[in-house]
Amino acid sequence: MSTREQDVLRRVGEASVLVLISLAGGPKHGYALIQDIRQFAGVELGPGTLYGALDRLERLGLIEPLPADERRHPYRITAPGAAALRVHLDSLERVSAAGRLRLQPGGT
Amino acid sequence: MMSAREAPDGRLVDAALRCYPARWRRRHGAEAAELAALLIADGTPAASIAWSYLAGAAREWLAPRSGRPLTALAAALLAATCLLGLSAALIAESAPARAAGTAQSPSGRVPPKAEPTSPGAASSSPHQLTPCRPVPHARSC
Repeated sequence: MSTREQDVLRRVGEASVLVLISLAGGPKHGYALIQDIRQFAGVELGPGTLYGALDRLERLGLIEPLPADERRHPYRITAPGAAALRVHLDSLERVSAAGRLRLQPGGT
Repeated sequence: MMSAREAPDGRLVDAALRCYPARWRRRHGAEAAELAALLIADGTPAASIAWSYLAGAAREWLAPRSGRPLTALAAALLAATCLLGLSAALIAESAPARAAGTAQSPSGRVPPKAEPTSPGAASSSPHQLTPCRPVPHARSC
């Protein structure tokens, strides 16, 4: 299986990847996720987009809900989720490196 | 903690949340309302939050999931379209017949699709050529 085929996150969308990156830093609920993503990525994630991403990632088994704290449901990244994020970030890094190389004067 | 429902702008968000399927509202509804209230308190416009939830609700209804595959949704849409088309066709079919029955056009023109199936069945009366059931002295069908 190619690296591209192993990258299950390549089709889930940017919001899901940002949520997974945020959860890689520890379990969080919706509001904390939005604040964290705003801080590290400068992206203002809408609440509708957030819940869509959470549902998608949970269906894929990449995150799991923790017992509810009052109304809030914290989520945490699973082992397959961490592995998928690692593969995706490696893939992004390779693409990014290729792009930077080509932007250099005389780059191919 | 003030919920989105109690906030001044909460009604808009509340209406958007009601657009989600019931199973989604059972699971995320209370938390989503609280999250909206927190975001509004932070200064996020309520309209922006409502719009995000509205778009999320549309995605939730349209997304294929187990037990409700896209084919079932497509079939339901197709059935609804067919019913609408059938109703429109029935209305369109009855309108010229009604007009023929009441207006008594001097030219005596008859809609082409109302022609009899066999040439021998042709009649001089336009009423017998309409798709309506022939009723003596009837002016409309």
